[in-house]
Amino acid sequence: MTIRRYLALTRAGIMESLQFRLGTFVTLLGNLLYIILVYFLWKAIYASAGTESVNGMTFNDTMIYLILATALFNFLEMFVVWDMSRSIQSGKIILDLLKPMGFRGYTFWSYSGSHVIMFFLTFLPTSVVVFIITKGAIPLGLNIIWFVISTVLALIVNFNIEMLVATLCLYTESTWGINIVKETIVLLLSGASIPLAFFPETLSKAVSFMPFRAVYDIPLNILLQKNGTECMSGLLPYLGFQALWAVGLTVLSMVFWNISVRKITVNGG
Amino acid sequence: MAEHAIEMKDICKDFKVLNRHEGLKGSIRDLFSRDYKTVSAVKDISLTVERGEIIGYLGPNGAGKSTTIKMMTGVLEPTSGSITVNGRIPYKDRKANSENIGVVFGQRSQLWWSLPLIESFKLLRDIYMVPQKDYEDMIELYRSLVDIEPILHKPVRQMSLGQRTLSDILAAFLHDPAIVFLDEPTIGLDVSMKSKIRSLISGLNSEKNTTVILTTHDMGDVDALCKRIVIIDKGMKIYDNDIEHLKSYFGSYRTLKMRIGTDEWEEIVIDEKTTDIMDIIMKKQKEKKIRDIKIEEISTEEVIKKIYEGDAK
Repeated sequence: MTIRRYLALTRAGIMESLQFRLGTFVTLLGNLLYIILVYFLWKAIYASAGTESVNGMTFNDTMIYLILATALFNFLEMFVVWDMSRSIQSGKIILDLLKPMGFRGYTFWSYSGSHVIMFFLTFLPTSVVVFIITKGAIPLGLNIIWFVISTVLALIVNFNIEMLVATLCLYTESTWGINIVKETIVLLLSGASIPLAFFPETLSKAVSFMPFRAVYDIPLNILLQKNGTECMSGLLPYLGFQALWAVGLTVLSMVFWNISVRKITVNGG
Repeated sequence: MAEHAIEMKDICKDFKVLNRHEGLKGSIRDLFSRDYKTVSAVKDISLTVERGEIIGYLGPNGAGKSTTIKMMTGVLEPTSGSITVNGRIPYKDRKANSENIGVVFGQRSQLWWSLPLIESFKLLRDIYMVPQKDYEDMIELYRSLVDIEPILHKPVRQMSLGQRTLSDILAAFLHDPAIVFLDEPTIGLDVSMKSKIRSLISGLNSEKNTTVILTTHDMGDVDALCKRIVIIDKGMKIYDNDIEHLKSYFGSYRTLKMRIGTDEWEEIVIDEKTTDIMDIIMKKQKEKKIRDIKIEEISTEEVIKKIYEGDAK
């Protein structure tokens, strides 16, 4: 059974993440500071707007959205690009390439354990706190199930974006700059730092076709039952959009990776 | 199962390298340069390795050892020539090939850094789909060969270099591969650790009949483990035979050791065909008092040095 391999990697990932407890707590603290900053920033924005709601979102809506987006970001965050560039420079990548399983699968499942831990340490507590403070801004119903499905799709999309950029590392050798650009683009265009509702119309139209919103914006909308996701006819297009990108990006990143690895085996690394 | 563990025929490997220019101007020019040159790292190497052999794979730095090993593992594709490992073409079927080989690359570790060694073993057991029974037998074998108790529950990051290397070697043998590649396994280790690792390698080799390809710069490894050695230099195979034969190449060579003055030994390698040992001793004696004299057969180290320096043939 091949599933045994994957679960073994998940298990090891969980144990490894637990070794770095302190790191997780620092992340939590950092988030708290970030959220305080965001709170005052948006408070000022709403004060200067002078109206109760801006772009159809009240101050409370915006805060709930951004807090959950931050938690979701921690939950889904991967360091494929970073790890890949390190293992290329140290030559360790050979050892990973010589595992009797596909490199992409190996990488994906190696990260799965840390996702599990981050879910329990950041996303779940944050959601519970938001739920208690707002007295039910997160509806408890079928949307939770849809949210789980949507998050898995988001995970796949995110992984493949990471993998595409990481594959670039094989060519450039230096990745710091590329990684920063990728991170900024993803954070901005996915709606993790500014809700997409605030984007100018043309930009928001363009963004709505891009894969980035499949990572944060769609799962959050589904969780909060916003923008028509409360009924099936509104929900399905969102999930379809995610699934489409998940499949498309998987194919794309797989092809790009295979071509690149082939190039390395021909030209040496 | 194929007849031979490894079979390579007329393997060549060329790399395309960008011609780099000097200075800032040159670096900017390089950004747009299409000026490649071809470097051949490996030229026409043919090699057959039988099952259960331990081969010392030697050569000076940059001779093309790593490149050949990468081709055997399937990470590199040869430019020309044919290669089969366990009857498979490694670069065409890297995944299947990986199931039957183990690797230890000098300073890099495949172990999970923050976890106890036993967890890495369990993980590798699952990744390589080793049946539980075989896994337990293997651990039992390890126990009989080395004292693994003190390191089994120790996180890898807290291990000494020696313990880590030992663990990496154990990890490479865990799925009972047909061939194990050991790339400088004793680099940076102390004398007692080196001998521990040597006896572990020879123990595993004789118990499991594993083929071992060993690259090293430590002639002690070669003397302790290898019956056959292959030497390559500048991408070409310059020697492939057993170690005794190698010494007979230099059969007329002796190492003359003299202790002159307090306790410093002076070493001279002498070819008896051309020079008379007694002449040298007498000449020395006229200059200073000799306290002690030893005449030894040439050591492997000296032989290898002579070959690298181009004195063979």
